[in-house]
Amino acid sequence: MSAGLWLCIRLPRLAREALATATHPATAASRSVDQAAIEQAAMERLAAWAYQWSSLVSYRLADGPLLWLELGASRALFGGHGELLAKLTAGLTQLGYSHACALAPSPAAAALLTQAGEQRCVSTLPQLRLRLEMLPLALLALPPEVLAALHSAGLRRIGQLLALPAAAIARRFGPAASLYLQRLCGTASDPRPAWRMPAVYRARFEFDAEVRAATALLFPLRRLLLEFQGYLRGRDCAVLRFTLQFEHYRHPDSAITIGMSAPARDAAQLLLLARERLQALELPAPVSALRLQALEFTAASVLQGDFFGNDAQQLQQLQVLLDRLQARLGDQQVRGLALEADHRPERSWRFVTPQQSTAVPDMPAAVRPCTLLQPPRRIEPPAVLLSGPERIESGWWDSGDATRDYYVARAGDGAQLWVFQDLARGEWYLQGLWT
Amino acid sequence: MSTPVTLEQLARLCRDAEGSRGPRPAAAPSGFAELDARLPGGGWPVGAIAELMSDAPGIGELSLIVPVLSRLARAGRHIAWIAPPYLPYAPALAQRGLPLERVLLIQTRSLQESLWAMEQALRCPAIGAVLGWPAYIADRNVRRLQLAAAAGGSLGILYRPPEAARESSPAALRLRLHAAPDGLAVEIHKSRGGRAGLTLRVGVATTAVVA
Repeated sequence: MSAGLWLCIRLPRLAREALATATHPATAASRSVDQAAIEQAAMERLAAWAYQWSSLVSYRLADGPLLWLELGASRALFGGHGELLAKLTAGLTQLGYSHACALAPSPAAAALLTQAGEQRCVSTLPQLRLRLEMLPLALLALPPEVLAALHSAGLRRIGQLLALPAAAIARRFGPAASLYLQRLCGTASDPRPAWRMPAVYRARFEFDAEVRAATALLFPLRRLLLEFQGYLRGRDCAVLRFTLQFEHYRHPDSAITIGMSAPARDAAQLLLLARERLQALELPAPVSALRLQALEFTAASVLQGDFFGNDAQQLQQLQVLLDRLQARLGDQQVRGLALEADHRPERSWRFVTPQQSTAVPDMPAAVRPCTLLQPPRRIEPPAVLLSGPERIESGWWDSGDATRDYYVARAGDGAQLWVFQDLARGEWYLQGLWT
Repeated sequence: MSTPVTLEQLARLCRDAEGSRGPRPAAAPSGFAELDARLPGGGWPVGAIAELMSDAPGIGELSLIVPVLSRLARAGRHIAWIAPPYLPYAPALAQRGLPLERVLLIQTRSLQESLWAMEQALRCPAIGAVLGWPAYIADRNVRRLQLAAAAGGSLGILYRPPEAARESSPAALRLRLHAAPDGLAVEIHKSRGGRAGLTLRVGVATTAVVA
């Protein structure tokens, strides 16, 4: 059989490291938490994160958490996978997980080699056989009684066991042991249950102590968003909004939704948006767990660039510029733009503080001109109407009642004007220019 | 090179050398194939200044650059509008794919402040494009802005009155814009590293969708 190449990641302290340590034990009461559930949830998030590197991800929690990624044997080991392994290792460190990685042509061997001290990368079956032969028997993932039997039979190294005929091993130590050894050496197939990417993203982060300050959530949130970014890259998609839900002790859950006006998947960008919201957030009660949820995704093709790690630096440079502009020109002179859900053109936008992301209301179906006259200017009835009318009716509920027919008109100099007739009074106004 | 150079190629080499002082600028696709085909590098000069001289406001002079602004903004960079004479209309920009959180509107009280703000913005690597509407600008100030754009790797767009075409300018690209029945007529007045003197029709989407 042709073996693929498997990367195995051993995560010896997964449950402990998955627990956020952002809180001061002195200020919050420690609560007992379900270790197994935490480990399972953390592994689910890591599998989603790892999916950006491999389309075949598998994990096992019993006997020490292990995560496998099938990398394909086609590329030359060190040339083709070196960069990927460096990124992956750096990513795990950034997420705060202790880890031991190994690469081998069979998943069982990759798992075994994560416990070997050195030479944990093997790319071909003959190399694997040579590497295994030198290792102690104790590394084999066999039941303790089998290992004890091997030991009492005088065997010490894996090579001594592999030298025995397969039939003899099966007879003396059981067919399961024989099959394991064949899978280890890559001579028997070893199908792994492939982790399936969920259609919606839900991640949960439980704290070992209650969090009282909203800003203390930033540290665990950073990890959640890094894992979320991995999921988005793996699915090759982006989000327009995501929800942060806060579980409280003896209080109903609370939540905030963070929306963007353009699809995003960069963790630094998402964290920046979340930070803005968290700084202004009054928590109704201390938080016992944090959930991140995203239900809708957009194609990543609309993203023109995905700056790996450059975003933070760019935002810093932007902040320097904004500070300088505001210092010299005044705070009010530097602004951003946002949309408002209102049919009336003059009320369908507003000024905001720079870089502010806001919810995106429904867009008008018809194309709008790039510049607006604020307020509309009274004009004579236009001579040349190019198109229209588009009836815009809105505002009866807040005294800004308006029924207008909009047209595109042409001026003598060739300029195209966005004009409307106020149907109540019959008067004409210029409201925009097709610049 | 072993192949002999034809006279025509030689003439072109000389013309190019004449037109280009300094390195050929990098380019960002304009979103209009007919325009890209005529611009050196196939788009707007990144790290340089482009001057747009429009016959009148409202003929599509902003629609011409909205595609490149959207492209730059979606790549994560911000667009700085320095003292625009009219309010950029947020729903229209969003409709054309420009992420609004990347838009910065900067108001100034004088030409001096505008030039200073443009220079600061052009130098900042987080800015993709800077738009300015100076009533008057001296050559040395265009040169200053050009250096700032080169330092920041950004695109500077200067909207200038049509009379400015009578004077020379160190800007890398100068276009005259005229109203045309079905779009915009773009006249290449000067193009560093490219050919000047061409006029082409660009189908800027202004009113096309309104029935």
